[in-house]
Amino acid sequence: MTSAVKLSLRDVLKVFPLRRGGSVQAIRDVSFDVLANEVCVILGPSGCGKSTVLRMVAGLEDPTGGIIALDGQAIRAPGRDRGMVFQAYTSFDWLTVQRNVEYGMRLNGVPATERRERAARFIELVHLTKFKDAYPNQLSGGMKQRVAIARTLANEPAILLMDEPFGALDAETRWHMQELMMSIVEQARTTVLMVTHDIEEAIFVADRIIFMSRHPGTVAANIVPDFKGGRRWNRKEEVMALPGYNELERQIMQLMRAQAGEEALEQA
Amino acid sequence: MAGETRPARRPQRWFEFRRPIPAAWVWILGGAAWVVFFGLWEWANASGAANDLLLPPPHLVIAKLAELLSGQEFLRDILDSILRILGSFVGACVIALPLGVLMGSFPTVEAFFNPFVSAWRYLPATSFIPVLLMWFGTGEEPKLALLFIGVVFFLITLTMDHTQQVRGELIDTAMTLGANRGQILWTVIVPAAMPNIVVAMRQMLAVSWTYLVIAEIVAQTTGIGAMMWRARRFLHTDEIMAGIILIGFLGVLFDSLFRLVHRLLFPYLHERR
Repeated sequence: MTSAVKLSLRDVLKVFPLRRGGSVQAIRDVSFDVLANEVCVILGPSGCGKSTVLRMVAGLEDPTGGIIALDGQAIRAPGRDRGMVFQAYTSFDWLTVQRNVEYGMRLNGVPATERRERAARFIELVHLTKFKDAYPNQLSGGMKQRVAIARTLANEPAILLMDEPFGALDAETRWHMQELMMSIVEQARTTVLMVTHDIEEAIFVADRIIFMSRHPGTVAANIVPDFKGGRRWNRKEEVMALPGYNELERQIMQLMRAQAGEEALEQA
Repeated sequence: MAGETRPARRPQRWFEFRRPIPAAWVWILGGAAWVVFFGLWEWANASGAANDLLLPPPHLVIAKLAELLSGQEFLRDILDSILRILGSFVGACVIALPLGVLMGSFPTVEAFFNPFVSAWRYLPATSFIPVLLMWFGTGEEPKLALLFIGVVFFLITLTMDHTQQVRGELIDTAMTLGANRGQILWTVIVPAAMPNIVVAMRQMLAVSWTYLVIAEIVAQTTGIGAMMWRARRFLHTDEIMAGIILIGFLGVLFDSLFRLVHRLLFPYLHERR
């Protein structure tokens, strides 16, 4: 794997003003790098600000302080080099699957023939060729997310951002989608920054896990899951069977508990 | 257990919460209401409970309607009325749709126009009739103006509401695919909001018919409303009733046309998995 830095965050700070005056630091001192072709997962308890970090990378929100840079260029606004897949379904209901996947390329002036070919290739990659002329209303939740992934990748972003992309799916579909995602990332050779709160998902897909704590929202651990032997695995159960899997899962659960413990008790 | 057991059939009951009924029954029940209505009406005249002069029986009203429809003059009235509806409605849409979409998209535009538009919405359009008559006389202008005023402010507000309901994630997605503001407006917000806006248009067209009759009665020249008002003078109740039935029929016809347009424009909303 190459070690060129694709995305870097340095001392990122996000302060939200409160309605009654004053302000709250949602995120502070967030610094980490994502290497080229790496799958990096931001993991953490709810309320740690992981989605805010992702939205700032996308340019949908501005950091209050610090620097976020893609390929050495500071990020100022949303752009096609940082395509994002959301937890909520974002298929355009008025377009067929084919036209959905072509959407970004159409915006960016890709010629029609190339657009059609590239869309067909990515639709094939997410196994939706049979449904290319269907409208999103006719698709299941998992299929809609596959459309979103294909649409984003067909636009050739420098980095793929995913905000809990499988969070709304049932357990079985989620697991299939994680494996599908691994094969897509492998074939499209994309750099990925993904947010999740699902520990199993993080360990299975990640080359690097950024564990965030809350109050304040900051990087508590930068974990490289060495037990996977520096390679990617296509089947989730293979990863789970590796020595070292349980140890890492336990460590992360302890980190989670240290974060969640007090409040969980308060709510119980 | 040995032997085949069939599940006991649930008894069919007339009233079941939200259980769909066969399509044939929808037509039969819907038609039955009309049969009952005209039946009672006919019976009221036959039994002498209703005065034939003030409320002619339905078969006479229908006959009168057929007679009117065979004459040039009435067709002219109908055409005038329809042109007024369409003219004023197109005018209202030309103003309301772009303005409503912009107000629903950009909070600055909303902040500027909304207090103004809201105030107008609470003024009854009919309260403008005296000044409209003074300004424009009894020609086409006051009628078109009344219909326009009666519809445009509601249509602006409804369009704005439906535009605001377009989910933020769709806009965010387009941004991360490289869309600029104009592209987001035309390729995301407008197509996403349009199905609901067309429904709002359908509802406001029904309101237009109400104002049409008022306008034609006040500035009596031509049109279905004017014809009905003339008939009143000669106690031609059957012509008035015929007018009412015709307006009802035209209303339903326009409504069905809008439904058809909705189906043609947005086929993806009408397809089932």
